[in-house]
Amino acid sequence: MKKTVDVSLPVGPVHPCFKEPARIKCQTTGEKVLSAEIELGYVKKGIERIMVGRPWQEVMFLAERICGICSVIHNMVFIETVEKLSDINVPKRAAYLRVIVNELDRIQSHMLANYSYCYTIEHETLAMYLINLRETAIDQLELITGARITCAYMIPGGVRFDLKENDAEKLSFAMDKMEKDLIRFTNMFESGPLIGLRSKNVGILTREDAILSHAVGPTARASGINADQRTNHPTYQELGFSPIVMDSCDSYARVMVRFKEVFQSIELIRKCLDKLPKGLIRGGGVVTEGEYTWIGEAPRGELTYHVKTDKYGRVAEIAIQTPSIMNIEACAHHMLKNVDSAADVTSTFISSDPCIACNER
Amino acid sequence: MLSVFCYIKEFLRPEWWKKFLFAKTPPLTSPSYFRDYPHLTGNECTHELRCMMICPSPGAIEVLKTDDGRWEPVIYKGHCIRCGLCVEVCPDNVLASGRILEQNETDRTSYLSSYRLNVDDSLCMRCSNCSVACPINKVIDPNLAYNATSSSDDVIMRVKNSKLTILHPEKCTGCKTCEKTCPNGAITVARIVEGDQDEE
Repeated sequence: MKKTVDVSLPVGPVHPCFKEPARIKCQTTGEKVLSAEIELGYVKKGIERIMVGRPWQEVMFLAERICGICSVIHNMVFIETVEKLSDINVPKRAAYLRVIVNELDRIQSHMLANYSYCYTIEHETLAMYLINLRETAIDQLELITGARITCAYMIPGGVRFDLKENDAEKLSFAMDKMEKDLIRFTNMFESGPLIGLRSKNVGILTREDAILSHAVGPTARASGINADQRTNHPTYQELGFSPIVMDSCDSYARVMVRFKEVFQSIELIRKCLDKLPKGLIRGGGVVTEGEYTWIGEAPRGELTYHVKTDKYGRVAEIAIQTPSIMNIEACAHHMLKNVDSAADVTSTFISSDPCIACNER
Repeated sequence: MLSVFCYIKEFLRPEWWKKFLFAKTPPLTSPSYFRDYPHLTGNECTHELRCMMICPSPGAIEVLKTDDGRWEPVIYKGHCIRCGLCVEVCPDNVLASGRILEQNETDRTSYLSSYRLNVDDSLCMRCSNCSVACPINKVIDPNLAYNATSSSDDVIMRVKNSKLTILHPEKCTGCKTCEKTCPNGAITVARIVEGDQDEE
């Protein structure tokens, strides 16, 4: 079938709703969007090339600086890969502390994504509430690790700092407060009629399309795919983790999956604080020669690290696969097909939570 | 219509009014656990250079001699990424940043580091610049000169049988002087770091 295109509408690269630069080229007839292309490549860093030949101490910090929103998981997956290839064991307490910090990072990332969505559909009040709630999560990260975004918390064989007695109390108090606020905000999102108009049945990504375009993370789970790499992680298996799946396939489902995952993260943190065993937080271990691939679950989906080291503990080869590229693919080819209004383009794009910095390493 | 009620309900909450009426910005102070740039604690630096060797950011820290002859680490804030590794690795607690020092004391954690010297034979031209420049070699054998006329085998490295041989790598302190003086870039110093915690 031949498409009749009236206007080719460019969105971006610099757009008030985008956190990072990307360009969407839409083909439209009137208000209806027929198809879209997404262009990246405005902030390429070349960080993988910089990593090669450096010792793990430097690569650990470079990995954190790939993405400013999900920095903890980059650190965690790189360190776990290095541990696996040189057979370093992690003490039990350190493994639980890692889960706590990782889940706090997931909370702040999901809050930013939902803030961004609410801002795009012009519900600024809820957006403001959510970005304030994100501050609470970041304050807890600062309390535990001493830094807000680039925490540098994990090292091979454990973590760098232990919880103090007051810290656990402060953390559980903050979790209670956060849950109370979040219930209110989730109700606002669920019951808001204008939010429903802008998000329900907009940007449909069916289960088949999601499988075709290899969508990952909350985007895939909102389309009814039960896939989460945390189920393969030994510490999460001990905590009894099961992923959250919704099957309405639209922007509303993607945002709601993130809200529900924040509740789940709060529960996981509480479980960790209850079960937290006593003992060492740092075992010894030297990084040796080897090669390994390990997959972790970033806030946006699967994050793969392939690392090869030489006998001095320097990184000889590194390959990173970040989650967002598949979600952007799904967004360009399936979600932005037959969108009824040009105003829904940005909100649909943001609902898949694209992370441009992760892709342009 | 429903959203109007939502807003009215939101604005009628006493918590909202409390926030609205008693809003006051607290003064800007960093909390005690905030990992700021490292600062000096006043302890004496013994010039072990571990902070320089573990620093992941190039050019962020340098240990310089002050006018009264003491060694002192200098932090260049433009390069520093505030990871705090220099604070954690220093055996004399010269630097401090946030509560890293007290955490290390309560957890009894530390870094153990050793160094390996690697010589690329295809690049090395046996000029023995590295052996002569090495400050440890100078202390062990002051007579070590060009073309390695010394016969002492206690030094870290020297040219032996027309080949640069590493004799005692465990004496290396990782100052990288050999790496800097080598005209061909044939010798490299690799550090091996192990995070460690004492058991009770």
